[in-house]
Amino acid sequence: MDGYTELRNYAVIGDGRCCALIARDGSVDWLAWPDLDSPTVFAAVLDHLRGGRFLLRPEAPYTASRRYLPGTNVLETTFTTAGGTVRVTDALTIPDSRSLAPARELVRRIEGLAGSVPMRWSVQPRFGYGARAPHLTRRAGVPVVTSGPEAVGICAWNAGEPQPTSDAVVSRFRADAGTRAVLALPYAHREPLVLPTRTECEARLDHTAATWREWTDGRTYTGPWREAVLRSVLALKLLVFAPSGAVAAAATCSLPEELGGERNWDYRFSWIRDSAFTLNAFVKLGCAPEATGYFWWLMHASQLTHPRLHVLYRLDGGARAPEKTLPLSGYRGSTPVRIGNAAADQLQLDTYGELVQTAWLYTAAGHRLDADIARRLAQTADFVSTSWQQPDTGIWEVRSAPEHFTQSKMMCWIALDRALDLAQRGLIPDQHAPRWRRERQAIAKFVDDRCFSLRLNTYVRSADSDDLDAGLLLGLLHGYRSPDDPRMRGTVAAIQQALQDGPYVSRYLGADGVHGSEGAFLACSFWFTEALARTGRADEAAHLMDQLVPLANDVGLYSEEIDPATGDFLGNLPQGLSHLALISAACAIGQATR
Amino acid sequence: MSIWAALAGGLVGTLVLTTTLRAANALSLTRIDLPFLLGTAFTSDRTRAKALGYGAHFINGLIFALLYYAVFVAIGYSSWWLGCVFGLVHGLFATTALVNILLPLVHPRMGQPETSAPHVALLEPPGFLMLNYGPSTPAVTLTAHLAYGTIVGGFLAWPA
Repeated sequence: MDGYTELRNYAVIGDGRCCALIARDGSVDWLAWPDLDSPTVFAAVLDHLRGGRFLLRPEAPYTASRRYLPGTNVLETTFTTAGGTVRVTDALTIPDSRSLAPARELVRRIEGLAGSVPMRWSVQPRFGYGARAPHLTRRAGVPVVTSGPEAVGICAWNAGEPQPTSDAVVSRFRADAGTRAVLALPYAHREPLVLPTRTECEARLDHTAATWREWTDGRTYTGPWREAVLRSVLALKLLVFAPSGAVAAAATCSLPEELGGERNWDYRFSWIRDSAFTLNAFVKLGCAPEATGYFWWLMHASQLTHPRLHVLYRLDGGARAPEKTLPLSGYRGSTPVRIGNAAADQLQLDTYGELVQTAWLYTAAGHRLDADIARRLAQTADFVSTSWQQPDTGIWEVRSAPEHFTQSKMMCWIALDRALDLAQRGLIPDQHAPRWRRERQAIAKFVDDRCFSLRLNTYVRSADSDDLDAGLLLGLLHGYRSPDDPRMRGTVAAIQQALQDGPYVSRYLGADGVHGSEGAFLACSFWFTEALARTGRADEAAHLMDQLVPLANDVGLYSEEIDPATGDFLGNLPQGLSHLALISAACAIGQATR
Repeated sequence: MSIWAALAGGLVGTLVLTTTLRAANALSLTRIDLPFLLGTAFTSDRTRAKALGYGAHFINGLIFALLYYAVFVAIGYSSWWLGCVFGLVHGLFATTALVNILLPLVHPRMGQPETSAPHVALLEPPGFLMLNYGPSTPAVTLTAHLAYGTIVGGFLAWPA
């Protein structure tokens, strides 16, 4: 079908530093090396002709089923043909201490299970998002593709003799019952390439699965929808950039929110907006090192722009993320293909609430704040005190004119409220507490006077409007008002009426400065579910959750959005916010029904 | 030229270097914090790390001053401007190799390109020229080291 596969057909593998998307047909269509936010080696998902891919599939007609090895991010795909069955196990390997490992490595193990299956593979690396011409050579008998400071080896054992063609290295072989073949791509960046042995590759593949299982065994969640929650935390773990502790919003860039549309963004950055949910999920699931690492990264990254916050930061802590377009054809013609994100420089007042709430959750989990961080948090509250009256672009980063978004004001209120609590407990300086208290009161008055519609009995999207926005649910989830507050209950009811369609909840209706429309935003569905649970409607919430959990693809992953008409995935994937919202909703329902 | 002059120059030079970096930090020019980077090698308690880090940083400053002294003695000449040149070399070494490559290798809490799941770093890696800590970081670090080298060279060239 037009050279592209449905986004729902992608599974993701990773090693804590980079991620790859593998389609159900065995094609690695996305791989950014050496880091999650680096330019790609394979990007066929964004341009099936120029992006590059690593195909591995039966030559005969087949059906495919797949799963993650239990408790791991190692993918197992089973191809069944008329002549036999073959199993492919894919992993981006985690280094072990037994051998000299390449800087990065993709290993694919092929096992014949029954009969005999003719297999074909093709490695077509395209460095720099397909922009740089690869140069094929041989080192110690192994085909090596180089480009500038990068090199990829193509190691094959029992998988046919690699044959160079004009633009790829290809081969064929038969996977007979009881046989085992291995394909490995070692990678080097600004260093000599390490060419591994077959034994080392297989040992690292097994070590990788064992390491993931060990990590998953340490997770503490025992509530409802356990499988979905554990898969979500494994997906989230893939988005943790281990060298810095940052958490990427998604593993990909420019997968469209509307097929053929222009809503194509780069999500390989860490959004402050997601920070409170992220820390909460880490704490609730017993991921203490990840929680500490993330909080430290957050406070480091925001230091350079302090007291202002950028909407997002790069995974290395940098603040600049200039937006550029690439000359790729885009997923099914969805252009422009963007890298970088211009939202970085927007004013988003809700982020201040998210940051202080994150620090508040961090202290609630028993951690201490050092003097520098305490001082900066107090200065953040000072900044909110003087800035909350400005219009902003809101949580959804609209590209239309700034407005007084209600959710932004609510999060400013949260920032001051949490700062006051921290100050009261002696955790941050309290010299300006009276001013924070005064401004908190002023925000509440503004929100209640201008952001609540008496006619509709709901908080509205922005001051003096009649529009609704699912982001308002975050006011409830972060504690702007008690769940018993009639205005909050009215808001939940109004959102249900205006934005819910079956299990799907839209973000908002109305213009946002970008052409086209979008699918249903999955995080909003989970937020709505959690809001139901918190407002005493736990049975309804559980029922909705039962509809939402099966919306994941066959390996339990979610993208950012879903087309309600077709069920197709839209937007970047796997999307951290969708998985975070699932975890939060499951925990809340578990708590409400306990 | 004496060891005592080297130690005195090292002490004053480190004071100026640390103050320069701290001021640049307060002005949001960089996120570099050498005492913090050093101290967290010993503890994950942030407050204690900074205290330990300052101690370690001053000791390092004295050791480097002794190295300058050794080179000055070997070539039989010392001056403030040669100290400035040494400071430049010292700064380049610090930003390209010492803090970027060598420190992550021995620092249990600092990330490096090889850090992978399931581990997670507490400190982001500095990157080439420590650019991960902000685009002005190389300039600030080199300036601070130029000042350090000039001061050490000046103390060692001071007439006895």
